[in-house]
Amino acid sequence: MTASARIAPPSGLLHEPGAPARAGHDPAGVALNRHRAYPLPALGSALFLAALFAVAAAPGLFTAHDPLVGDVLEGLKAPDWAHPFGTDRLGRDVLARTLYGARYSLLIGLGGMTVSVLAGVFLGILAGQRNRFLDEVTSRLFDVLSSFPGVLLAMLVVTFLGQGMLNIALAVGIAGIPKFGRIVRAQTQLVRDADYVTQAAIYGLGRRQIFLRHVLPNVLVAVPVIATVYIGSTILTVSGLSFLGLGPQPPIPEWGVMLAESRDVLRVAWWPAVFPGAAITLTVIAFSTVGVFLQKRFEGRIA
Amino acid sequence: MKKFVPLLALATISATGLAPLSPVDAAEPQPRSGGTLTWGVTTEPSCFDPHRSSQQAAFFVARNYIDSLVGKRADGTFAPWLAKEWTISPDGKVYTFTLREDVVFHDGEVFDAAVVKANFDFVKNPANAANAVALLEYFSAAEVISPHVVRLTLSKPDSTFLESVSNVKLGLISPKSLAKGDLCGGGPSLAGTGPFVFERYVRGQSASFVRNERYAWPPGYAAHQGPAHLDGFSFRFLPEYAVRTGALTSGQVDVIEGVQATDVSLFADDPQYRLLIGPSGASTSFTLNINYTRAPADDIRVRRALRDGFDPEPIVRQVYLSHVKRAWSIIGPANPAYNKALVGAWGNDIAGANRLLDEAGWTQRDAQGFRTREGRRLTLDVGYPQPYVRDNREILIQGIQAALRKNIGLDLNLRIVTAGEYAKGNATGTWSIYPNTDNPADPARELWDMLGSRGFLYTKVPNPDPEITGLIDQALQATDPVAKRALTDRIQVLGVEKAFIVPLFAPSWFLAAKTAVRGLGFEAGLDSPSNAYDVWLAKE
Amino acid sequence: MGSRALWSRVAARLGTSVIVAWASVTAAFLALHALPGRIEDILAGDIDTPGLREAIAAEWGLDQSLLAQYWAFLSRIAGGDLGTSYVLRQPVREIVGSQLWPTVQLALTAGVLAVALAVAVALLTAGRGRLSRKVASAIELVLASTPVFWIGILLLMLFSFTLRWFPVSGANGWQSLVLPAIALALPTAGLLAQVLREAIEKALDQPFVTTIRARGVGELTIRTRHLLRHASLPAVTLGGWLIGGLLGGAVITEKVFGRPGLGSVTLGAVLTHDVPVVLAVVLLAAFIHVAASTLLDILYLLIDPRLRAA
Repeated sequence: MTASARIAPPSGLLHEPGAPARAGHDPAGVALNRHRAYPLPALGSALFLAALFAVAAAPGLFTAHDPLVGDVLEGLKAPDWAHPFGTDRLGRDVLARTLYGARYSLLIGLGGMTVSVLAGVFLGILAGQRNRFLDEVTSRLFDVLSSFPGVLLAMLVVTFLGQGMLNIALAVGIAGIPKFGRIVRAQTQLVRDADYVTQAAIYGLGRRQIFLRHVLPNVLVAVPVIATVYIGSTILTVSGLSFLGLGPQPPIPEWGVMLAESRDVLRVAWWPAVFPGAAITLTVIAFSTVGVFLQKRFEGRIA
Repeated sequence: MKKFVPLLALATISATGLAPLSPVDAAEPQPRSGGTLTWGVTTEPSCFDPHRSSQQAAFFVARNYIDSLVGKRADGTFAPWLAKEWTISPDGKVYTFTLREDVVFHDGEVFDAAVVKANFDFVKNPANAANAVALLEYFSAAEVISPHVVRLTLSKPDSTFLESVSNVKLGLISPKSLAKGDLCGGGPSLAGTGPFVFERYVRGQSASFVRNERYAWPPGYAAHQGPAHLDGFSFRFLPEYAVRTGALTSGQVDVIEGVQATDVSLFADDPQYRLLIGPSGASTSFTLNINYTRAPADDIRVRRALRDGFDPEPIVRQVYLSHVKRAWSIIGPANPAYNKALVGAWGNDIAGANRLLDEAGWTQRDAQGFRTREGRRLTLDVGYPQPYVRDNREILIQGIQAALRKNIGLDLNLRIVTAGEYAKGNATGTWSIYPNTDNPADPARELWDMLGSRGFLYTKVPNPDPEITGLIDQALQATDPVAKRALTDRIQVLGVEKAFIVPLFAPSWFLAAKTAVRGLGFEAGLDSPSNAYDVWLAKE
Repeated sequence: MGSRALWSRVAARLGTSVIVAWASVTAAFLALHALPGRIEDILAGDIDTPGLREAIAAEWGLDQSLLAQYWAFLSRIAGGDLGTSYVLRQPVREIVGSQLWPTVQLALTAGVLAVALAVAVALLTAGRGRLSRKVASAIELVLASTPVFWIGILLLMLFSFTLRWFPVSGANGWQSLVLPAIALALPTAGLLAQVLREAIEKALDQPFVTTIRARGVGELTIRTRHLLRHASLPAVTLGGWLIGGLLGGAVITEKVFGRPGLGSVTLGAVLTHDVPVVLAVVLLAAFIHVAASTLLDILYLLIDPRLRAA
């Protein structure tokens, strides 16, 4: 059984695809049987992501401009040879900012996803044990977390923690915990009751060994795929926070921050807005395309 | 057709003592009565009660339903309003006001000396937690001498007291409303004596007002007598720049406040609209206030390097497109107390700034090009409270940040902080650099607010500079205008010289209106657009 | 599952929902009080008069122990009293109550619009020519991957400022609802359409479709009558996410279009530590969550008779 739709729902998923009661009606799962995965868009997306990671690792190799310091006299210049993406109102090169911005958007996206996955997997496994109390407590915790719209929860967490990069990653990460938690819980229950695990117990394997050798690998196999799709929605949530003024601190050229800054000058200059906006959309598309491709490829193995 | 009103021209008209309601409208035909209009404004006040509010945006709204005992003219003198006349005792501690006898509140309550006493006592009482209490530091008692004579006694002379009395924060509210309490939500239960009655407040959307038909007591500087021209008007709260501009160009509102620099030409060049730029007469400049007791800014060389390490001119021009001037002093350039001697006296000395930092021992550089000393980076935190971030000011600070980094390797670390973080830093005196503009008040009080030992920034800071705080205390009590002027001049110089403060620009109000809207202007005492009393609609 | 089973399940959900709501507000209460900055300092603002902070603390009960404040808060909530806003100094019920409808109105309209769009697109393109399918899913992917506020800004620029078809802002009349609702609906519609189409295509493969076709039933009827019902189940699975996403998105959309609503109230309250307002919003979110999940449970049974029989 695999899970998730194209773009992972930001959060607040009540009936997680993959929750046991609805396993048969999982939207993505339904569709997968019919259509073969197209390798071409996925390949393109993977290349794009590879390029993105390269840029994020060493943005200085791809642009000579400083993303933070510009010539104020050259503010709001339309794209030309010197500045292919134009400049913003402080004369900073929009291309340089977009390239450096990849670092921050990816860092926060990956960071948020990591928080969701680590906490979600831990709590999900806990909930999946044969312990009604543990199950009840963790499941209610998931309920509490998912009773907030994702943006609202992230908003609250950011005000509690402050607007650092790490805190923002934590904020969007916390919002995603129930998503992974519920999937892992369902998966754990499924594996737990599977014949081969029962048999392993009959053969006298210890509980720890059974868990490490049989349960954990089977539980975790679905996670990376879902996580890949989920990064996209994390990036979207972060851009929303930035728009509300709760994103990374300026002058950090995170894409959402750039978009938020560009909206005041939109009437006279389209370029400070269009390029970071396109960067967000392309990145999110790439992550979900690759994620969905992986889902289709590994479908049989995961289920 | 250009509709710019140069700041200088406004200042000239002000000096004649006439009310400069709007120089643009000087040769207009006779005003006519009737009609309604809609104002798009940037900020929705969180509280409409003038005694309690601390927002500039709220005072400008409150002026429509709240009158004061006296009114402040643009030249800094005072005009009769609800008080016909007043006397000040030779020792500067007793103020006696003779009140008008024909004034009634919107709810029918009669205005008299007892009401004045009730209002002052209400604000002074700490249990009411009224923000306006800051203006009554030396106020000790109000006394009803006769039904229409009230005497206010101070514990110490306060050269700023008449100014405080003219402030809308100490405006008069009906005793019935005062007794009711919690007036922040506005509406008819917040009854004043002003030219408009507060009809309705719809949160998140609008506040609407209707004409007070009984109104016959405008301030001495008003352009006309009797009730207001408009039947009524409403404020629409439109926080986004683009939305406000779009609302005016698509005809959904008649006037907007807060036109951003890039949209100025849109209205200035179009005969369908007029653009009014308000004087920054009474407010302070937008300044970086440096906590000079906290390392590394406790070293005057570091502060001076920050002050001189960049040229504000091009940055201000880029963000505000030459519609706003850079500032030279803490006090705004159109304020009579502005010290012109500071113009050109400081700033943009990058070589000098670098020398100062070398001398101070910040000689090493780290991987990112910032100066370091003993392995620590030269960082100055700017804590900008999120609720106050507006008017592209965080963009401006980013411009300065970039220049300082490039020019002198100083890390000006802009942090947008929550109200809570700010309150904590303020309550413990551990704030680092605080960017702000102070509300309009008497110049001595503005300086006191920002640099005085009991002002809001330095109250909790241990051992503030005795020289400047001493001068400020003297200025606050100086009743002789010449002596006071000498003191405020000196304080302005000292603030910049010791680099306690780096003035950045002089904020102005930008209004755009359909040409049919006449009588728009600015009010000196509020340092904001004036109320809608003199506004009228021409036939199109 | 029979109807009795349904009701017992609804009852169980309501039971746990009280726990969820309690846990949410308790967590929020503790977190708000753990924030930096004393509330009386924030409320005092820039003023420091002797006795002011004490007066503020006494007024709001901040001088009592945290436990006493928590207890007072819980008993107030239990009595249906949401308290008074520290900053706005008005009853929280009034503040939240007056802002609830504009937000719900926006979220509902956008939700209906998104579903309508998604159903139409999915019905038209499912199992049809490869090209139309590809184009549709490409557009859907782009929409679902674009920040909602960005779509909003573009719509605003085009339809309000340039073409002047719709008002820029406010909540007066249906015209002011059009653009925000579209902006909010598009990303959701993009996602929903993908899910629906794939579900329809899956159903197309099933033997019963061939049977119906053999009876000579028209393609349109097959799609609208039979396939949609099959496909709607996975879509409803997404319902909870949809409601959460729409409400969260509404908060941002409101800011773009300058609409009143819970968004600005919440943002303001969070930034100024207006504890009573934040707690009310948290409580409201929990309530909506519970109501929505219960509703979805019932919806399942209505859509899928198989579940009823099981």
